Amino acid sequence: MNIVFLLIPLGLVLLAAAIWALFWAVNSGQYDDIEEAGRSVLEQDEPPR
Amino acid sequence: MSGAQAHAIWSGAETAHAVFSVEGMRCASCSRAVSLAIGQLPGVSRVSVNVATQRAVVDWDPRQVDLPRILAAVTAAGFRAAPLAGEAASGTRRLERRLALKRIGLAGLGMMQTMMFVYCLYAGGSHGIDPHIAQYLKVAGMLVATPVLLYSGAPFLRGAWSDLRRRTLGMDVPVALALVLAYGASVVNTLRGTGEIYFDSVTMFIFFLLAGRFIEMTVRQRNMSATEALAHSLPAAVTRLKDDGSTERIPPERVAAGDRLSIPRGAVIPVDVELAEPEARVSESLLTGESVPIVKACGATVLGGSVNIGQPIKVRALRGVGDSMLAHIVQLLERTQAERPRMARAADRVAAWFVFVTVALALGSAGLWWMISPARAVSAALAVLVVTCPCALSLATPAAFAAATARLAKLGLLVTRPDALERLAAVSAVVLDKTGTVTAGVPAVRVTRIQGDLSRAEVLQIAAALERVCDHPIATAFRPYETPERVAVDVREFAGRGVEGRVNGRLWRLGTADFVAELCGERPVESGGVLLGGTAGLVAVFAISEGLRPAAANAVRELRELGLEVIMASGDDRSVVRGVGAELGIAEAYGRLSPAEKLALVREREAAGSRVLMVGDGINDGPVLAAASVSCALAEGSAIAQSAADLLLLNESLTTLAAAIRAARQMRGVIRQNLTWSFFYNLAAVPLAAAGLIAPWVAAIGMSMSSLLVVLNSARLARPRATAATPSATPLQPSLVARVGP
Repeated sequence: MNIVFLLIPLGLVLLAAAIWALFWAVNSGQYDDIEEAGRSVLEQDEPPR
Repeated sequence: MSGAQAHAIWSGAETAHAVFSVEGMRCASCSRAVSLAIGQLPGVSRVSVNVATQRAVVDWDPRQVDLPRILAAVTAAGFRAAPLAGEAASGTRRLERRLALKRIGLAGLGMMQTMMFVYCLYAGGSHGIDPHIAQYLKVAGMLVATPVLLYSGAPFLRGAWSDLRRRTLGMDVPVALALVLAYGASVVNTLRGTGEIYFDSVTMFIFFLLAGRFIEMTVRQRNMSATEALAHSLPAAVTRLKDDGSTERIPPERVAAGDRLSIPRGAVIPVDVELAEPEARVSESLLTGESVPIVKACGATVLGGSVNIGQPIKVRALRGVGDSMLAHIVQLLERTQAERPRMARAADRVAAWFVFVTVALALGSAGLWWMISPARAVSAALAVLVVTCPCALSLATPAAFAAATARLAKLGLLVTRPDALERLAAVSAVVLDKTGTVTAGVPAVRVTRIQGDLSRAEVLQIAAALERVCDHPIATAFRPYETPERVAVDVREFAGRGVEGRVNGRLWRLGTADFVAELCGERPVESGGVLLGGTAGLVAVFAISEGLRPAAANAVRELRELGLEVIMASGDDRSVVRGVGAELGIAEAYGRLSPAEKLALVREREAAGSRVLMVGDGINDGPVLAAASVSCALAEGSAIAQSAADLLLLNESLTTLAAAIRAARQMRGVIRQNLTWSFFYNLAAVPLAAAGLIAPWVAAIGMSMSSLLVVLNSARLARPRATAATPSATPLQPSLVARVGP
């Protein structure tokens, strides 16, 4: 069971990575308008290449 | 606050006026604190703070105090002042939302992680666990819970701190108390190596509470963007022509009566002006919602807020920006909105009492246990605090509201104020404005009189030929009668009076009575209407009226079936309004009402006990919308009406209103169920918790289950229910018809 002493910190590292990813996503504006992506399918314009 | 728009700040020599948003106010005591802080400054003549709209309205004397000092007073009281609208405001809102998302995300992830660790400890409790590993898990739990408490839980801690500093009991106090107690006890027990830990309770608590607040915040932010449309209307600078011919750029606030201004194409006219050019084309869509351009003649008054869509024009200001009609109506709106929070005041009183009872119970049970067996004091107090957490209570309304809002959004009705739906459920009378809400905006022609030897069809064709080249709104009414056999040549338009031209060799004039009388020498007996006359005499009189919206009659019938009185109150001609009323089946139809009279009608009904739903779209309806219990504006209506209204109808169909009232009543039922459940749950659980029969983690799970139940119950509202044979809203939008669920 001593492997637990390794696994717990590993879990915490993964948690930190998840939190970092969340903060990055929010800060880069990906959650600012969550309906726009769905709506954009209906627009006539070509997406920017 | 540079960049705050002109409607939000006016400054004269003796009084200045500003409207800005105040962040961080959660209850009546907060708004009182802000009012006091601002009111204490010398020179401030009026302060009005509204917690529901998070706005403050301040009038002051610029000689004694200035805006930066007022804002500093707000900050010193512990709140943040932010611009009401414009670039800076949307930036603030974006940051607020991002911060909320980060906090919720961290709390959610932390909650899941601590629950994993704690579960091992619970399992270990029954099956045995290596004490070193148990300790390890506790420390790991502490590592996760600490940032959650300090970052995600910060709003509660700070809120409770400022509440206590002001010696009031807000909702944040018991929450913060529970969090600090739970966290503190857990840390102590972790360091000691024995005893219960409650890190999972801490994180779960924070997560659920943040989720509820996030829902409230998104609704509030959606409301603010309606006001933005209004704020963006006035320009940042306007060109003034000086006597020597040179020009200077000045802010609209500095325009004085008599100033000559130059308005370029596409620009908004900032103040009420008199036209100094022979002709101009303007659009009054901001004010009336009518996007069809209007031709103004030399010397005519053009209202501030109109857009110049023709050539650049020179105008003379009639009044300063503070006195323009636009400004007056906006001021009226702000004033009426600031005086509105009926629900909020009642809710705050209940909350303060509730908090007091909660804290007293917790301390009481802790005290009792301390005398009997101190070790259980903490867990008992915690259990009480957790179990009485207003989680289910605070989620009951927002969850139901969010679900109902989503359902209405699918039907094409946007809800912009949080308590609008609750008020909508209690509505007992509907007041409709005739123009715009019931009529379709496409004018229709009726021939009211014909003299001479021409037939009805011929008369319409001649008029259509004359109007063919015009952009006048009336011209569109004649379009259906155009025919290639009759073509008008030598057509000349006389702004504001009519059009003249030759059709098949004969000279005709179509327009006002005076204009046509010049040519034909005759005047009709009745006044009003559009006349057609030739050199031989008057030939026809037309009445231009607006056609009714599709399904308007159905909508009125459905509203009556729901038990509502339907009233029509319009500024249009009495006979026209009565006619429309008869067609729609409305018994009470009043015409020729001024905006003040409409306001009086609404106020009189409200005073008599009805709850009025006002449906309107023009600028004149702005203050009336704000005075009714619930107001609904149309999406094609003016921006002012939209920012005053609680509801925004996106499609043309009034049947959506009937569906909305049904949804609001269902929502009210669900909220009652939710509140009843949370109340009885608390009633049953508190004695058990105080008696120490519930461990805090059980209390936390119970609280979460209770919240989940409330949320699931509210989710039932999101699916549009089937109603017996609902007719199609409009032929173009069959998908908006409520469908039977699976």
